[in-house]
Amino acid sequence: MSALLNVEGLSFEWPNREVLKDISFTIDQHQIVSVLGVNGAGKSTLLKCLNRILKPRQGMVHLLSKNIHEMPLIDVARHLAYVPQSVGTNFPMNVFDVVLLGRRPYISWVIGPGDREKVSKTLHYLDLQDFAFRRYDQLSGGERQRVILAKALAQDPHLFLLDEPTSDLDLKNQIMVMEKMKTLVSNKGAPCSALIAIHDIDMAARFSDKIILLHEGEIKAYGSPIEVLTPQHIAEVFGVEAEVQSTDTDSPIRIRINGAINKENLEEE
Amino acid sequence: MDSISKQHQENGYLQLLIMAGMCVVTGIVCLFALGQGSSSNLDMMTTAKILFNIESGTSLQSDIVWKLRLPRVLMAIIGGVGLATAGALMQGCLGNPLVSPLTLGVASGAALGAALAIVYGFTIVTFGAFAIAANAFLFSLVVVFIIIQLGRYRSINSESYILVGIAITFIAGAIVSTMQYFATDAQLSQLAHWSFGSLSRPDMVVVLAIGTTVLCLLPTAMRWSWDLNALSMGGDDFAISTGVNPSLVRRNILVLSALMTSVIIAFTGMIGFVGLAAPHMSRLIIGNDYRKLLPCSAIFGAFLMVTADTIGRTLFAPIVIPVGIMLAIVGGPVFMYLLIKPKAVNH
Repeated sequence: MSALLNVEGLSFEWPNREVLKDISFTIDQHQIVSVLGVNGAGKSTLLKCLNRILKPRQGMVHLLSKNIHEMPLIDVARHLAYVPQSVGTNFPMNVFDVVLLGRRPYISWVIGPGDREKVSKTLHYLDLQDFAFRRYDQLSGGERQRVILAKALAQDPHLFLLDEPTSDLDLKNQIMVMEKMKTLVSNKGAPCSALIAIHDIDMAARFSDKIILLHEGEIKAYGSPIEVLTPQHIAEVFGVEAEVQSTDTDSPIRIRINGAINKENLEEE
Repeated sequence: MDSISKQHQENGYLQLLIMAGMCVVTGIVCLFALGQGSSSNLDMMTTAKILFNIESGTSLQSDIVWKLRLPRVLMAIIGGVGLATAGALMQGCLGNPLVSPLTLGVASGAALGAALAIVYGFTIVTFGAFAIAANAFLFSLVVVFIIIQLGRYRSINSESYILVGIAITFIAGAIVSTMQYFATDAQLSQLAHWSFGSLSRPDMVVVLAIGTTVLCLLPTAMRWSWDLNALSMGGDDFAISTGVNPSLVRRNILVLSALMTSVIIAFTGMIGFVGLAAPHMSRLIIGNDYRKLLPCSAIFGAFLMVTADTIGRTLFAPIVIPVGIMLAIVGGPVFMYLLIKPKAVNH
């Protein structure tokens, strides 16, 4: 199976801070890949560099062998769908129209019946059908997060870039969203994968095919959850002591966090 | 078609119907406005017959309607359409509900140009009677040019545009104040008169010229509706992930709406309120989808402007209160009421 996404030597820096240093990795088709790391490790920056929101200093990003940085933005939006941590607005539209914006890369001016149907299907898929004509600003944080995710789904992309898609969701919806992503990605009809920045190690271990462990702008480890989430890696990256047990349930491993290592150092920071 | 898609389509038809209704009401107000004035009041039937050449009234009546009142009412419609659309466009591309055509400094540029012409007789182009208007227009173009130059910087975001607009307003205001300080009484009164905002100045040729410009810019603005939706709904990152280039769209929209504003206020003087209020009232009526918001704002702007001008002409007739003042006095409280009343009817 050929690679879906190919990132080579990606670097990004703010005027006086290097955020990403020479990042290279590939993502295969039909996979969920999680990006783990502490605050400021560069998770969001990585997603934004892949979606042309930020311009990397150097490096190449190829999606299905096409260079992302040489594509018109509208083609990028047909290939990649990015979901920010949260979307606030002064001019809220109703939920249907927000999700319809996901069809914008395909619409010239007139909405076709196909576009409406796609939106309607997506709303049902994420259990949002009752909110279709509610205004975006009158929803709860978790509902809004699902609406923005629905907009990304309506884009029909080959790669989802999700920045903490479950941070505002209740437990049931966290599981629901991750399971639906898994189903979407495993659909063999079209090449599709998801790159998900996430804080919840357990959730990542349970749903990811692979995990990228990002540490100080570099990839510390990349591989299956069992390979990446070792007590040593967790200690080095997150500064906590953990026990990892293999299980035979849904999740390949269970991680038990025992506490922070070296508390004095942490308090100094 | 499933029920949600169907309801979405039906909502769309309903919104079109609402806008058609608004057009009819505005049309009636225009007919009434054409009949009212200091010389002779005509009822709407007579006015309509004269206007559509079904039955020519007395030649005097016909002259009053065609030559005196029609340019004024047309100017009100065009001014309302242009300023309201410009306001909606600017608010959307900067994602800020406080923005109006006066905020970006375009109007201050025009005021500076007019003041230079009135006080020092300094005009860039002498079109005789149009010297002041031409000056106002050219100086607001200078502001447009500054906006374009700003847009070239990669780091500029929507807040910087607003802050630069405030800075331009202060600088231009200071220069105008200095000129007022040294101006003669006659010049002062001319300057004050210009700044009121009035529809009485432009004659039919000018009105048609402005109208053509606005009519050409409108469809161009409509073409950006989807991009404005993405930008106003979710900001820059959201827009990019939807395939929209925010800085490019912002620059084009700002130049277009600044042009639309400057063409109008160069001839009418300062008319501010309609560019802020008409888009907001339209948002309450039709929602924030720019494909509908732009036409709705245009219609509402025309309605507001014609209504305000007609009230200004008839309330204390034969004294005419300038439309800029009427808009602020009548529109201000209505606007405040609409914003604070419970929002249960918004959708």
